[in-house]
Amino acid sequence: MSVETLTICGIVILLAPLAGAVLSGVLGPRLLRGSTHWLAIGGVGLAFITSLVLMGQVRGAPPDGISETVSVYNWITNGTDAVFRVEFLIDPLTAVMLITVTGVSLLVVMYSRDYMREHGKPERGYERFFAFLALFVFSMCALVLGGNFLLLYLGWEAVGLCSYLLIGFYYDRPAAAAAAKKAFLVNRVGDFGFGLGILLIFLTFGTIEYGAVFHMVQEGVTGSGDPLATGRVTTIALLLLCGACGKSAQLPLHVWLPDAMEGPSPVSALIHAATMVTAGIYMIARCGAIFTASPFAMTVVAVIGAVTALFAATIAITQTDMKRILAYSTVSQLGYMVLGVGVYAADSAIFHLFTHASFKALLFLAAGSVMHAMGGIIDVRQFGGLRKVLPWTFATFLAGSLALAGFPLFSGFFSKDEIIHHALMVHPILGVVGLVTALLTAFYTFRMVFLAFFGRQRVPEGVHPHESGPWMLVPLVVLSIGAIGAGYVGIGADGGVFHRFLTPVFAHTFAAHSPASAGAHGVPVVEHVGFWAHYGLMIISGAIAFVGIFAAYVLYLKEDWLPGLIRSIAPRAHRILWNKYYVDELYDAGLVEPARQTGRVCVGLDDYLIDGLLWLITAIPRAVGYLARTYQSGMLQGYALTMVVGIAIIVLLVFGA
Amino acid sequence: MNVETYLVQLGPELILLLGACAVLVVGATKASHGIASISPAVSLFVVALALLATLRLGVPDGTVAPPGLWLTSLTFYTRLIALGVGLLIVLVNWHQPVARERGEYLSMILFSLLGVLLTASANDLLVLFFAVELVSIPTYVLIALSREDGRASEAAVKYFFLGAMAAAILAYGLSFLYGAAGTTTLHVLGDGAVRSTLAFGSSMGGTALVGLLLVFAGLAFKIAAVPLHVYAADVYEGAASPVTGLLGFVPKLAGFIALVKIFGACQWELPVAVNWMVWVVAAVTMTTGNVLGLLQTNVKRMLAYSSIAHTGYMLIALMVGPVAGQGPMRDGVAALLFYVAVYGVMNLGAFAALAAFKVSGRAVETLDELAGIASRAPLAAFALVVCVFSLMGIPPFAGFLGKVYVFSSAFSLDQSHAFRGPLIALAVIGVVNSAIAAAYYLRIAATAYMRKRTDEVLPTGGSPIRWGLALCSVLMLVLFAWPRGLANEARNATVVLHGSIRPVDARLTMSIDDTLERQVQATGSNPADSGFRLPGSEQTVEQMTTTTPVASRALKPTTHSDQP
Repeated sequence: MSVETLTICGIVILLAPLAGAVLSGVLGPRLLRGSTHWLAIGGVGLAFITSLVLMGQVRGAPPDGISETVSVYNWITNGTDAVFRVEFLIDPLTAVMLITVTGVSLLVVMYSRDYMREHGKPERGYERFFAFLALFVFSMCALVLGGNFLLLYLGWEAVGLCSYLLIGFYYDRPAAAAAAKKAFLVNRVGDFGFGLGILLIFLTFGTIEYGAVFHMVQEGVTGSGDPLATGRVTTIALLLLCGACGKSAQLPLHVWLPDAMEGPSPVSALIHAATMVTAGIYMIARCGAIFTASPFAMTVVAVIGAVTALFAATIAITQTDMKRILAYSTVSQLGYMVLGVGVYAADSAIFHLFTHASFKALLFLAAGSVMHAMGGIIDVRQFGGLRKVLPWTFATFLAGSLALAGFPLFSGFFSKDEIIHHALMVHPILGVVGLVTALLTAFYTFRMVFLAFFGRQRVPEGVHPHESGPWMLVPLVVLSIGAIGAGYVGIGADGGVFHRFLTPVFAHTFAAHSPASAGAHGVPVVEHVGFWAHYGLMIISGAIAFVGIFAAYVLYLKEDWLPGLIRSIAPRAHRILWNKYYVDELYDAGLVEPARQTGRVCVGLDDYLIDGLLWLITAIPRAVGYLARTYQSGMLQGYALTMVVGIAIIVLLVFGA
Repeated sequence: MNVETYLVQLGPELILLLGACAVLVVGATKASHGIASISPAVSLFVVALALLATLRLGVPDGTVAPPGLWLTSLTFYTRLIALGVGLLIVLVNWHQPVARERGEYLSMILFSLLGVLLTASANDLLVLFFAVELVSIPTYVLIALSREDGRASEAAVKYFFLGAMAAAILAYGLSFLYGAAGTTTLHVLGDGAVRSTLAFGSSMGGTALVGLLLVFAGLAFKIAAVPLHVYAADVYEGAASPVTGLLGFVPKLAGFIALVKIFGACQWELPVAVNWMVWVVAAVTMTTGNVLGLLQTNVKRMLAYSSIAHTGYMLIALMVGPVAGQGPMRDGVAALLFYVAVYGVMNLGAFAALAAFKVSGRAVETLDELAGIASRAPLAAFALVVCVFSLMGIPPFAGFLGKVYVFSSAFSLDQSHAFRGPLIALAVIGVVNSAIAAAYYLRIAATAYMRKRTDEVLPTGGSPIRWGLALCSVLMLVLFAWPRGLANEARNATVVLHGSIRPVDARLTMSIDDTLERQVQATGSNPADSGFRLPGSEQTVEQMTTTTPVASRALKPTTHSDQP
């Protein structure tokens, strides 16, 4: 892989969506209108094709040259040295992320072509939507490609901005505007920690380039050559984790993601399921050197992941809004991924990220298709039995659900299994939590499937359901192929193509430090302990999926009076889950209200104290102005006088000094 | 060095001069001939040609010093940005005055630019004075011609009288410097005369100090620093917006270049009292600008106060001087030169956006007239917001980098720098001020976007002003992503201040009147008695070569003497 080719590939991957975004914004409103989507499709499509080329380049590289940092140009220099460089780090991790991001993006952009129309006519803001979507792809690619922490941070903030803009796409709906604000503010909390972490990295190592920083961490030295204190590394890792918790919606900063479903469904599919929310996992995997240098931080990562997975899964059981159920399931699945990196199985986490991207995007898009057919209604209590009416949507949704539920031989089954397997080896308790979560996942997923697609057919009043057109169905079908088949790239005795490809990235970080592989260098990441032990777990988790689905079948299809009974037996438990453990209320009472009160006090101070002071301060110039106005012709002389007096004061002061 | 070399090396200046005359002639033809209407195109061509000549000539190596001038890398940088922004200025002013006055008007812009170019090459106090006035005098005409409105005439008269006073103060100050140093040649001054009188409290110390203060005051008018800022708001409001865009850049650039030259002549070894004086002026300038900016409802007045505030920021960098630090720019003057170029573009863009629309028959001026303009002209409103955000200094716009360079030049000063603490405090004041300023910049953006508008907005000024506006806003993004080219040129421009090069054929610059010179030396008379002569002819070659080589101070932190 030659440096020139990589540079060109990187630049094309960045500039194609950016050009799409800018052109959509400039040409869309006046010229193109209803055909603006072609610009976005073109830009993202080109980025996808280039990502494939890049993947080919990386795959063809020799093992020792598989990680390449290419410098595009020196952004800020001090005349001789570059202070900040625009550079790409290209390795298998980058390649996998790029394929995932651009691939899903391309399908989502195509899907949006029909979704963002009403009765064949483009919705208001059609051009804006595609411009933002393409801008998001640009930002996400920049995040993934960036070769230093500054670019990572820029991309990180830019995807946050796009997320904000797209959640609030229907800005005239108060709920959407509030959700956008909430997402932005909650992310601020995480990003604040993240920014501090990067500053601390710069202070400690004197550089923000990945290669240099990671090398120094592994050597255990700081930028000035002193030994590196473990406490310092732990602090850096925890601060970075803070950012990951915000972006990837982990406890306690998960609250924004369910509300983010106020955005259009394609946005939920792309940004809030498949790509942006996985940035946190990517970042932890990328900074493996830093995290693995602190066992304490790794334990924190694993615990946060496992607890979030279980926590979100329990909430998902009681929700009735399809997109919200999917949102909580996303939080839960992201928890799995964080658990994965926390138990030194970063490649399994990335594998789950990869399969999850396809099946969760599929579920959201299919839910969007349902919503489209139901005239904007998405509450599973208001419709049912849609199996016959929406056959294609149903089939694809089922494929996604089976993958999510971890049904044997579907993609989610393999990737989730690997994480649980590693968790059981490193932290057995967290592994068990993972298994319980898997049961809940299968249950709530099929609760949703049975409620929406099975049973007696009912639709909301005045709605004439219709299957979606090919623009929407083709992406669904492509994604269902992914949901069914994506798992097969990562299985086999030696971990399959996927793991073999990623091994060099994590060989010296996660794999080397993993307690499971006894810390030896160069050991393959996925070291399958005994053939039987692994299949044992597969059988258990397969059985768990069956049990979960069966339970949902009994409760919601066969004996549909049972849920009501359970609810009346344990009303308090139901209420807690229905209200999402009152986390929002807790934050409201503990943070938002006090902040609001402080704000009121500040407004009061501003209105009376500051304004009063200002009035007093400005009274003098106003008085002068008033005097000056009384003899208008005196203005010029007045100015001249001011100037002369000023100069006189200056001269006197200097000579007096 | 012969005359041909001088003519070639002064190509850009000559092109501007001849071009300005040509535009004047073209504009004076009868309207019925239809030639007059091409005067904007001719002006654009002239500026482009001068820019081309600049690039073709490249960076002067410091060996060319025509009488009273010295072509250095600073000349090159100034030519580059003055002519580059000059192109935008011509675009924005394309349709400004009524057709029959257009030739006159545009030639004034070219003359003003010529003044800036000469300021940058001046190597003599008198040439410096004339060059700075050549910048200002055409602007009086420009303001008066800019629109048929009583307020424009009023502004022109005000600006003229106050400008004349400032010019008198400047000339008076320069005469003191001459009196103290016995020479008007800048690089000779830089070799010691003024500096030693200032530093060692010699008998002429008081004279030099008064000279320095008055020169600073005179130039403070050009850059709109307190207390000589009083004219700014009225003049900016009275002139038509395209001219105001020019006023924020051209005189400011000339004033700062002149200050760099004067401070350079003192090698930045200013008495502590002068340092504190500039410190106070800088702090008061930015605070006054921003606080008064908050109180305005007229956008042009708001931007006038913002212009004052920006002067304050730039003064920080001027005080830091050409000192090597650890920051990204390493050098205060380079940061200043970068900032002034970026400021020129973003300021011009903001005014161009105002000039591009008419509400109920007149150009947009107040916040109320600007309200909700985004719904009528989304692209222009966006360009306005880009320029305003850049003025505010937030990423991803070039104004952010400008501020980073300026503030970091102070923060990264060497520990041994005598004035380090106060300068860092000043930079902190600057940062706080940037935050205050955000309030009124955001108000402009919010007004354009958030308020509703019902009445009609007519685009005016045709497509050139739109191109100018678009280029200004695109440049803000481009310079943010790719600041290296401009930053390197700015850094290169200050090499001359580090003293590493000096005019090699200085002797030739003195040979204007050899006989007179010999007479003076023979009689030993005071140069001041010898009447008006061309400057630079007071010293012999021997004197010049025996003076301390400036190069020894290159890149060394300036040491400030404690004696005033």
